[in-house]
Amino acid sequence: MDARTCLIVDDSRIIRKVARRIVEGLGFEVDEAGDGVEALTYCASVMPEIILLDWNMPVMDGLTFLRRLRAQPGGERPKVLFCTIETHPERIAEALSAGADDYVMKPFDGEILSSKLTEVGAV
Amino acid sequence: MTQDDFVRLQTLLASRAGFRLSRERIHLAAHRLGPVARREGFDTVDAMLAALWSKPVASLAWAVIEALLNPETWFRRDRGPFDTFARELLPAIGRVRPDGLVRVWSAGCSTGQEAWSLAMGALEAGANVEIHATDLCQRAVDKARLGVFTGFEIQRGLSAASMLRWFEPVEDQWMARRELAQAVRFSRANLLDEPVDGPRFDIIFCRNVLSDMEPVRRGAVIDALERRLVDDGCLILGADERLDGDTVAFRAVNGRQGLFVKAAAVLSRAA
Repeated sequence: MDARTCLIVDDSRIIRKVARRIVEGLGFEVDEAGDGVEALTYCASVMPEIILLDWNMPVMDGLTFLRRLRAQPGGERPKVLFCTIETHPERIAEALSAGADDYVMKPFDGEILSSKLTEVGAV
Repeated sequence: MTQDDFVRLQTLLASRAGFRLSRERIHLAAHRLGPVARREGFDTVDAMLAALWSKPVASLAWAVIEALLNPETWFRRDRGPFDTFARELLPAIGRVRPDGLVRVWSAGCSTGQEAWSLAMGALEAGANVEIHATDLCQRAVDKARLGVFTGFEIQRGLSAASMLRWFEPVEDQWMARRELAQAVRFSRANLLDEPVDGPRFDIIFCRNVLSDMEPVRRGAVIDALERRLVDDGCLILGADERLDGDTVAFRAVNGRQGLFVKAAAVLSRAA
């Protein structure tokens, strides 16, 4: 069976590195993107199974990326988890209504991410 | 902490709480007792234990016991039992009860995540439930009743949608909304105590409690649970917990991990 794939979209290299370690520990093969445009380009060639998505990024933010992804053919398939420092209920609700499968408030740890991925049926 | 201190702690936990404090937990025990010693006005853990052994004061003994219990819990832990509860048990039992009222007991609720998860599932299913949650640890019960969780706690096992629906942000934590908060009653109870006679429960959740107990105490606790459960009720244990050899009061339900019903032997005795 092919390894399961995860795309981590965040402009912080450190966050990407931390998230990569956790997700690889859950058995996923990981790629990274530094903003929404890079992530869209990536998804146009190969659609990952799950996407961990930051909100505030240069060039294209997470919400814009998510709306464009969901409008693409096959773009409804990946499970998308927003992973951001935003904790306002209105912002969380906005992300969910834009098509995010779940929402993770930073800081998070492996147990949280693992339980969220289980809850959306990705693990 | 000396070996002798630890052996005495093991005896204390076993006799008062039925809790098995295994040997590899000696360092964890020393670590957990540090804050208790400070709170109780002792310079060191050793000084606190020396005082406890020379003059066993109940309040100090319980402060020590509480710190050494296993508080591990999270929202919708193992998921399956909560889906079974909301989709199968509540409708099936509610159908044959006056006003559809189903009485639920979360026994060994720690900081409340299990009880709150049950309440969310029941309210979302539109069920009429009374949920009672108890724990041996007063501090855990107090936190459970408060219904306030950190960002780490609230996200462990709970989806963002459920979090938004049932909790509201207070400073940098999350507090159960009024509708949810009214759905659970919390109190302190020791499962080793003689069970009180009162209305019995339709469903008892007692997960990951028995596996931490001294094997010789399990049978009595299970029999006490049996007495508090209606004859057509369900007992739910932790995913890996078995009752083999501990009791003849219950039998496992095939295909439902952790789900038990009363055994025929108990039912004929009752009749």
